[in-house]
Amino acid sequence: MSASVSTRPVKPRSAWKTVVTLAVIGLITVWAGVGVGADLGDIIDNWGNATGKLIQLMQPDYWFFPETVDAILETLQMAVIATAIGAAISFPLSFAASRVTNPNRPLLTVVRGIMNVVRAVPDLLYAAVLVAVVGTGALSGILALIVFNVGIIVKLVSEALDSVDRGPQEAALAAGGTWIAADRSAVAPQIFPAFVSQSLYTLELNVRASAVIGLVGAGGLGMLIDNVRTFYKYHQLSLIILEILVIVLALELISSWARRKLVG
Amino acid sequence: MSVIDRTTRATPARPRKPRNPLRTAVWVGILAVFALSLYGIEIRWDRLLDLPQNLVRYAGLMFAPPDVSALGKAVSATIESVQMAWFGTVLGIVVSFPLSFLAAANIGPLWLRWPLRIVFAVIRAVPEVVIAILILSVTGLTAFTGALAIAIGSVGTLGKWGYEAIEGAEKGPIEAARAAGGSTAQIVRWGLWTDVAPEVFAFWLYRFEINVRASAILGLIGAGGIGSMLVDNVQYRQWGAVGMLLIVVVVITVLIDQVSGQVRRRIIDGSWGWQRKV
Repeated sequence: MSASVSTRPVKPRSAWKTVVTLAVIGLITVWAGVGVGADLGDIIDNWGNATGKLIQLMQPDYWFFPETVDAILETLQMAVIATAIGAAISFPLSFAASRVTNPNRPLLTVVRGIMNVVRAVPDLLYAAVLVAVVGTGALSGILALIVFNVGIIVKLVSEALDSVDRGPQEAALAAGGTWIAADRSAVAPQIFPAFVSQSLYTLELNVRASAVIGLVGAGGLGMLIDNVRTFYKYHQLSLIILEILVIVLALELISSWARRKLVG
Repeated sequence: MSVIDRTTRATPARPRKPRNPLRTAVWVGILAVFALSLYGIEIRWDRLLDLPQNLVRYAGLMFAPPDVSALGKAVSATIESVQMAWFGTVLGIVVSFPLSFLAAANIGPLWLRWPLRIVFAVIRAVPEVVIAILILSVTGLTAFTGALAIAIGSVGTLGKWGYEAIEGAEKGPIEAARAAGGSTAQIVRWGLWTDVAPEVFAFWLYRFEINVRASAILGLIGAGGIGSMLVDNVQYRQWGAVGMLLIVVVVITVLIDQVSGQVRRRIIDGSWGWQRKV
């Protein structure tokens, strides 16, 4: 082959940019590693402990099941109630949070700003504060989950709204409809499938989240996990994990089925 | 009647909306589940009545004014949580990156693909806090435990998103690389990676945003950061400090989301967010 064949345009190289980016990422990682006290030696030293715990984990205590039934039911009920109420609140809010459906710029900015703040706070922080406000139990958990759900659903649905086909809406506006009428009749049907799938997806998230928020006393499996872990009952903990696993997988199956039936 | 009546120009009746009994059944089912849940759960609904009043009272305790003397502690706790999230995310990326190639249908062999996918699914089902509780015995109660829990948790989602992106890659370049006689490594590097890289980078950033929130939660079991500070202050009812902490968390999280969102947009569209497309 002659060298003259290579008439390929030279690729603009930005090697120094890659190097700088990698260096910055490396430095942040080292800083973070020092900050969290990363120490591989620790892991190696304590590996013996871990194998013991892992062996316990591999043997779930199935006899513990009857004591978990109430907590499982409570977790599921909390998740269902919170998803339903959260979704109901989110639907109109999503329309207020999208450029496409809300012509009122100041209102749009305010709604989006509030939603950004709502999402910035982790669900557990809501739960911890609400437990103090309304007392321990499922009510504080449900309230925390509702706030958390509204944050997620509004973000996902309003993003879907931003990319909706505007033709029908323009037609409705041109025919003299109000914005609300146009949004309701021309945009809402387009977005409904996305809304249903996002709500079902939040239901799954809620089951997982309620295992966490229970740690601060907001009811459900989390409260049980907290009890078990304080006494290092790993056999029982492993049964609870197994149960969460089964519930999440079952929900995933049911919700993908329901999504097909409702949306398809 | 099949004969068209030409004298009246009445508009034909609108066609009936097709009914879908199965869909109705699903809706009825959903409503029933909701009703059952409401009925079955033991909740003191009467507490809801006091909620607005209580919220105002606690908001007053927390924010009017927030305890400024707690600012330093709140900032350092938040930074510790962010460090936990960053370190955990990087570790998670390092582990999940090769695994997601092996779990993709167009690269990994079947016997390796399915076990990996099951591992990802199992990890996704377990909350980070539970993972942290499990690995406590190896690492002790430190921020490092939190970072490891986040790393393991991230492998579940990053692995899944990764193999889905890799499976969705365009076939053309891969075939071209193969036709040109490339080795598997070369096919992956030049036929596949170039196509999926932006999407994968975006996932990494998105997971980091999620992990910042997750790390706040991990402190709850004593892994340091925001969670630990929150629990301590709520326990001693130091609401001013809780208020300060919430403000710091919101500010830093919004900041991280903004920066990460800008970088993500840069990766995906090649333009910074403030360069509006016309």
